[in-house]
Amino acid sequence: MSMSPLDLLLLSVGLYATGAILSLLLAGNDEKAISVSGVLGALGGVAGLAAALPVLISGTGKTVTFATCFSFADFVVRFDLLGAFMVAVISLMVVATSVYSLSYVREYVGRGAWAMGLYMNLFVASMVCLVVVDNAFWFLVFFEMMSLASYFLVIFDQHEEAVSAGFQYFLIAHAGSILILIAFFILYSKSGSLNFETFRHLSLAPWQASIVFLLAFFGFGAKAGMIPLHGWLPRAHPAAPSHGSALMSGVMVKIGVFGIIKVGVDLLGAHELWWGIVVLGFGAVSSVLGVMYALVQHDIKRLLAYHTVENVGIILMGVGAGMIGMATHHPVLAAVGLLAGLYHLLNHAVFKGLLFLGAGSILFRTHTKDMEELGGLAKRMPYTAVAFLIGAMAISALPPLNGFVSEWFTYQSLFTMSHDGIFVLRLAGPIAIVMLAITGALAAMCFIKVYGLSFSGLPRSAHAEHAKEAPWPMVVAMLFLAAVAILLGLGASVVSPVLVNVAGSLTQLGAVPQVAYQSLLMPGNPGQAIVSTPMIILLLLVGVVVALIIAESGKSVRMSRRHGGDSWACGYTQESHMVVSADSFAGPLKKNFAPLFNLREQLNPGPMLNSGVARSIRAAERAEPFWDAVLVAPVLKFVPWLGRQAQKLQHGDFRIYCLYVVAALVILLLVTVLC
Amino acid sequence: MSNIGPILLALLQAVVLLALAPFFTGMSRQIRARMHSRRGPGVLQDYRDLVKLLKRQSVAPEASGFVFRGMPYLMLGVMFVLAMALPVFTRQSPLSPVADIITFAYLFALSRFFFSLSGVDSGSSFAGLGGAREAMLGILVEPFMILSLLVVALVEGTTSIGALGSGIGNGYGQCPLAILLAMVAFGFAMFIEMGKLPFDVAEAEQELQEGPLTEYSGSSLAILKLGIGLKKLVVAQFFIGVFLPFGAIGANPGVMDVVIAVVALPVRLAVLFALAGLIENSMARTRYIMTSKVTWVGFGVAALSFVFYLAGL
Repeated sequence: MSMSPLDLLLLSVGLYATGAILSLLLAGNDEKAISVSGVLGALGGVAGLAAALPVLISGTGKTVTFATCFSFADFVVRFDLLGAFMVAVISLMVVATSVYSLSYVREYVGRGAWAMGLYMNLFVASMVCLVVVDNAFWFLVFFEMMSLASYFLVIFDQHEEAVSAGFQYFLIAHAGSILILIAFFILYSKSGSLNFETFRHLSLAPWQASIVFLLAFFGFGAKAGMIPLHGWLPRAHPAAPSHGSALMSGVMVKIGVFGIIKVGVDLLGAHELWWGIVVLGFGAVSSVLGVMYALVQHDIKRLLAYHTVENVGIILMGVGAGMIGMATHHPVLAAVGLLAGLYHLLNHAVFKGLLFLGAGSILFRTHTKDMEELGGLAKRMPYTAVAFLIGAMAISALPPLNGFVSEWFTYQSLFTMSHDGIFVLRLAGPIAIVMLAITGALAAMCFIKVYGLSFSGLPRSAHAEHAKEAPWPMVVAMLFLAAVAILLGLGASVVSPVLVNVAGSLTQLGAVPQVAYQSLLMPGNPGQAIVSTPMIILLLLVGVVVALIIAESGKSVRMSRRHGGDSWACGYTQESHMVVSADSFAGPLKKNFAPLFNLREQLNPGPMLNSGVARSIRAAERAEPFWDAVLVAPVLKFVPWLGRQAQKLQHGDFRIYCLYVVAALVILLLVTVLC
Repeated sequence: MSNIGPILLALLQAVVLLALAPFFTGMSRQIRARMHSRRGPGVLQDYRDLVKLLKRQSVAPEASGFVFRGMPYLMLGVMFVLAMALPVFTRQSPLSPVADIITFAYLFALSRFFFSLSGVDSGSSFAGLGGAREAMLGILVEPFMILSLLVVALVEGTTSIGALGSGIGNGYGQCPLAILLAMVAFGFAMFIEMGKLPFDVAEAEQELQEGPLTEYSGSSLAILKLGIGLKKLVVAQFFIGVFLPFGAIGANPGVMDVVIAVVALPVRLAVLFALAGLIENSMARTRYIMTSKVTWVGFGVAALSFVFYLAGL
């Protein structure tokens, strides 16, 4: 039986939906619900991969339209290269997180674990539908479903922080969807249809297109968590269960990036140069500030969440470079820039998913997310440690892993831009490159801290002391993602031609540049640069073997290695509080970059919102007496005054009443005579 | 196979640099001793140290893990790769798929990552602090190292190290001022990477860059010392290969060219090490926390060279 990609896609969504419904039916029977939703989720992921990979490899997508009873809401499925790419990313992560959930969710047995299966599967299904649907109405419906399902994951633990984080997430997500709604409405008012295909053929005036782009950029940017719209992200991701965080951080924020690409590149064609510069600029700032704030965190999941801000920034830098290439009709820059963005999108999903799963395993065994309470876990959880280390190396862009490859392409696209572009680009490109370099160095420092504090040294609490290796489904999921991270690095020369086709399908600028030859990678032009990740690993092996040979030379005369005893502490006894802590590690950095940390206090929307609310309350307080003074008080004064004046008329003196009668008669007489 | 030639050359040059590494670190020690009015241990002392250490037992603290154990080998391995890929005798790199400025910067980052992490992994508070400081130094140095290289790369239109060297070797024609300033900035970055004052006292092992060495002993210390020595040579040769590739073999070499290249290698390195030693020993130490004030100068020079490049000077 052979199934077409669309059938498989339908099967995949069907499996998620079945998983969700069965979880709901199994309400109250948590153990069964966990297995059913996990297994069906994983199968759905496999089906999704089977649907997406043939499309990506063959390079041809397919579009189908289903009419619905509403004329504006044609259910158009467009399984194009970009859609297939996103489905592949989502499905890959779902396979890992579903397997992981088989053990991890046991933590929630008796606390409504079945509901988690429901929301997770709904969340995934809505994302898959979202990326392939080609009609603005359905797009928004699935966007809302995704936001709502993830909202329930955020508030799952029901404690105060989770609920408050969920509320903030809810607000920002909806503020974003309103902007997107307006953007689509403008397009609709011009084209008269909600189908994306009609949007693609619109010829809008530059200012109209720019308004649509900015609305979509900030609307989707809120979902992507770019600075300054990131406030919800470091709160919401830590609050969700870890496999949910892995999906939210690995996949859901990418829907934001996908939206920016969809509207800016696919629908509007990225005609304006400044769009790309805006994307690049926001990306660069997000990457540096994101990683810098990450460095000073204690909570491991919060730290990882800030790294999401950083990596979204890096992705946006690639996308921005690609958009600049499209606007300036530079086919190589356009394709390599978008390739860099898409490759990093995929890579970030893999290694950030891996790191969140690792953090989840730590949480599962030690019940703490505070790195000050961890330590020494490498001996107690060796597989988790190895997988986590691979993730840490990948996110620090160390060769030859996947993060290095995508950042290398990002560097190269920025280099092309700096070299070939007009003056503004020649100025902006190197600045972006330096910011990327700072980001890389900071990320490396940050993950030295994370790995060092969690896995190295001596345990700093009883929880860490008594930790043991995570159950096998969790270990398998982590090792799977670690292997994918390695393969995406070593197999870059196989992956990048596929992704550059996706980029080429978006740029529409003729022939796609060559980015790989045998095991070599190149940014379109081998004269500019080449790199080969398999060669790096081979040479590293040679180097390490040389080192081992040298070490071998004295072996016959020396005693064998001894492993034990305290480390040296200036002649004092080693004590547990002597070791490096999260604060001391990042201390010098905080001091050296103090202005940037102050910036956070000033840029943080939380206090700004609070002060805004406080100000409006004060204003309301001022406004209240104002109306009192202007309207109410005069009335209040006037009525008694009128009464007092009326009292004067009623003196009780008979003669004055007679006088009134006489005066009235005189006036009446005068009136009749004079008229 | 035509590929075998470059690979043999790569191995040859890496082995030569590895063999010379203790000599040049010994030379640095000797220069320092003489400037301190001491007699010094002689330039061959580092070879004697290595031989001695290789015969000694390696001891690791209880808390240390596999990162601590593996790091010295990885450190030496990474430096060996860089030594293979650098243009040493030739102007072009024998292994151009690795000789790219971005790849080089991230391979340095790879060694720094594990060097720093091993400090934390040892469980020792000194080594841990040394590790944190090493990582911090990376943040301060890497951006302007990349920026200064970027200026040259933009002038030449390529990020390949071999192409950069041969381009510059043909004269500083375009933007000479920008290239000169970039050279100053990159030289400064390399000076820091060599573990020199005021950023480091390479012989005091609780210091910034060598802090993670605290817990190493015996054979693993020997490998690590060799790796750090090789790093100093690689860094110096990186500088020479990009900015001062004179004397290296270009296209269509004759016998004389080869002889010149072989002689030029140690001479240039010796001059560079002597210069670095002179600068280092005439400086005072600064507090670690002030490091960023000094590195800003390097960043400023690199930024200036970029401005000059934009202006076409």
